[in-house]
Amino acid sequence: MKKYFLGIDLGSTTSKAVIINEQDEIIGRGITNTRANYMVATEIARLEAIYNARFSILKMKLDDEIKSKPEYKKYIEDIESVFQYLQFKRRLDKLIVQFDESINSTFEGEKKTTIVNFVKTIFNIIAPEIRHEFIFANLGNKNQFFRDIVSERYNKEIAKLGKEYFEPMMLIYDKSITPVENELTEFDFKELIFEALEVLNEKYSYLENTNPEVSDIQFDIEMNILKGNHKQVHESIKEHITFIANMDIHIANMVGTGYGRALLPFPEKSIKSEILCHAFGAHAVFPNTKTVLDIGGQDTKAIQVDSHGLVTSFHMNDRCAAGCGRYLGYIADEFNISLNELGPLASDAKKEVTICSTCTVFAAAEIRELLNVGEERADILAGLHKSIVMRAMSLLARSGGVRNEFTFTGGVARNQAVLKYVTELVRKNYGDDLKINIHTDSIFMGALGGAMFARRSYKD
Amino acid sequence: MDNKLYTIGVDVGSSNIKMVLLNYSENPVIIDKDSEKIRKRNPEMVANLLIDHLLEKNNLNIKDIAYIASTGEGEMLTRKRGHFYSMTTHARGGIYFSPGAKTVVDLGALYVRAIKVDDFGKVIDYKMTGQCASGSGQFIENISRYLGLAIEEVGETSLKSTKPELPSGICAVLAETDVINMVSRGISTPDIIKGIHLSIANKVVKLLTSVRAESPVTLTGGMAMNIGMVQAINELAELGKLNLTITSNPDAVYAGALGAAIWGGFRHLKLSSK
Repeated sequence: MKKYFLGIDLGSTTSKAVIINEQDEIIGRGITNTRANYMVATEIARLEAIYNARFSILKMKLDDEIKSKPEYKKYIEDIESVFQYLQFKRRLDKLIVQFDESINSTFEGEKKTTIVNFVKTIFNIIAPEIRHEFIFANLGNKNQFFRDIVSERYNKEIAKLGKEYFEPMMLIYDKSITPVENELTEFDFKELIFEALEVLNEKYSYLENTNPEVSDIQFDIEMNILKGNHKQVHESIKEHITFIANMDIHIANMVGTGYGRALLPFPEKSIKSEILCHAFGAHAVFPNTKTVLDIGGQDTKAIQVDSHGLVTSFHMNDRCAAGCGRYLGYIADEFNISLNELGPLASDAKKEVTICSTCTVFAAAEIRELLNVGEERADILAGLHKSIVMRAMSLLARSGGVRNEFTFTGGVARNQAVLKYVTELVRKNYGDDLKINIHTDSIFMGALGGAMFARRSYKD
Repeated sequence: MDNKLYTIGVDVGSSNIKMVLLNYSENPVIIDKDSEKIRKRNPEMVANLLIDHLLEKNNLNIKDIAYIASTGEGEMLTRKRGHFYSMTTHARGGIYFSPGAKTVVDLGALYVRAIKVDDFGKVIDYKMTGQCASGSGQFIENISRYLGLAIEEVGETSLKSTKPELPSGICAVLAETDVINMVSRGISTPDIIKGIHLSIANKVVKLLTSVRAESPVTLTGGMAMNIGMVQAINELAELGKLNLTITSNPDAVYAGALGAAIWGGFRHLKLSSK
């Protein structure tokens, strides 16, 4: 019986879960933006991580095929995408029901009838659009949450309605999205994955009968190979899929950390401070780490660690959103763009516009004014990114500076513009020969540290 | 064209645009008013939508309007003739709604301002919140959206509170996390909302003290329409023994737009008599 260990990091903006095996290898990752209570957030992240672990194990089993045959790699990616779509679809069905309830409790008479019809029309437009993007394009890899996917398309549709209906349609959306996002939807993995295989059969049968010349679908090499032999690929991996769907992923021990940890339904000894977990996670991935900068959703931490990954000193800011991820989230909302687009946009800047306001809410107002006086969006964003990094630098200085090696973690480390300024300023202030570590799993470092503590404190 | 002098005041806020159509004279009369949430659209586009809507509703042509005055963040409007600083417009609008008021408190989305005024609505002295939005209207808006309440329901909801829970965080953006914590601990929506009202009211009362407010006090701005907010401010003012009469007006949110329309008319006459 293999043992697995779970770390949960309950952040302010997202909750993360990481599952590791007995060799400290990450085999499952889960992340959710649910703003519900922490019990639900924990559950959702944990379930996501377990689904993800099943896929990881499938990939390990098929390692040779994936490396040698591009169609296998593509097929597994496709299964994951469709699996995500089926989860999405079940949430969307719930949302449609919730919309009905919200409309019933908010409107009456003729207005109600009109709104019901508008909503029906809109979902009839966007549901197939989204399905298509999941199955034939790469919506599954965009790291977008349920809310982002729906709101982007919904807002586009209601902008076409007149003044009279714009506001009620927005109100209904606000009232409906949160309960659905905050509801724990447990999926039957087995049911979903076999349904996904069915959908893929349809997809490739459809592609076989489609002429690439006249289709808007992007045909790539793997797709062309799969078109002819997807049935064989399917047959050859079916038993593996049955295996991972039935296998019991036994969580032997778990540790929770993060902002909401005090409310976790865990025993006292299974709760660790996030400072320890972040440092430990960063140290596990980069054993020579001496200084860790973690920019999370609502706090920024500068941590100094010793050679065992234990914390020797730290400084943090958690009284004000300026300089943390929520600042960027708020601004992205202002600009009406998704969080993933911020960094790339700011990287296109020709200069950095100085933002005078410290406060997030004021900065948003200041940005509106800057746009009015004709400053470029990219340049304003660059200024915002730089201001976050300046705050982080002063925190680092107070915690004892930057020592070699320097590891940058937290959700914000995924933002390329922030990374650019961090690299620039760290090199400028602490020397060009510093090694700067950054990892694709940077957002999961806290959860990883938790999982590793769980493994170490586990007793047979 | 009758011999009325029509003016329009446009108050562009950070989340709402308010507009007043006025017949300007010694005793100005509000003909019509309208407001719309911006909802991340282009403010100028929304303002133009509102202006056109208002004109059409009242069978007027843009040429019939003597003066379009902007206030708040409305300086970018191309159709305006002049822009007025929001302190002066709110002071003037507040006096219109509550004749005889000595202090006007503008509860805006970003700032809270306590303004002492003379009988003509001229600003004598003021105090405002600093460079941090904790305790602003935006704050309530963000929280109510999270709790699934329309902004109109917030005030009534806070009145149902039996044991208000004060938020520990001070930052408007991070307070949401505070609220999630409260929801996780099973605290009721009315108690959460009331706690937030009290934390904002606390700032308002501090401002009233530091500006040495004189009675009567009138509230303007979006939060002044919120009956729970007005009550929370009164509760804390009594606790602090400030001895002030603090009232609001059902149209308080239009104070800025109204003030702009009045000052616009005033300036128009000044310019034409030269």
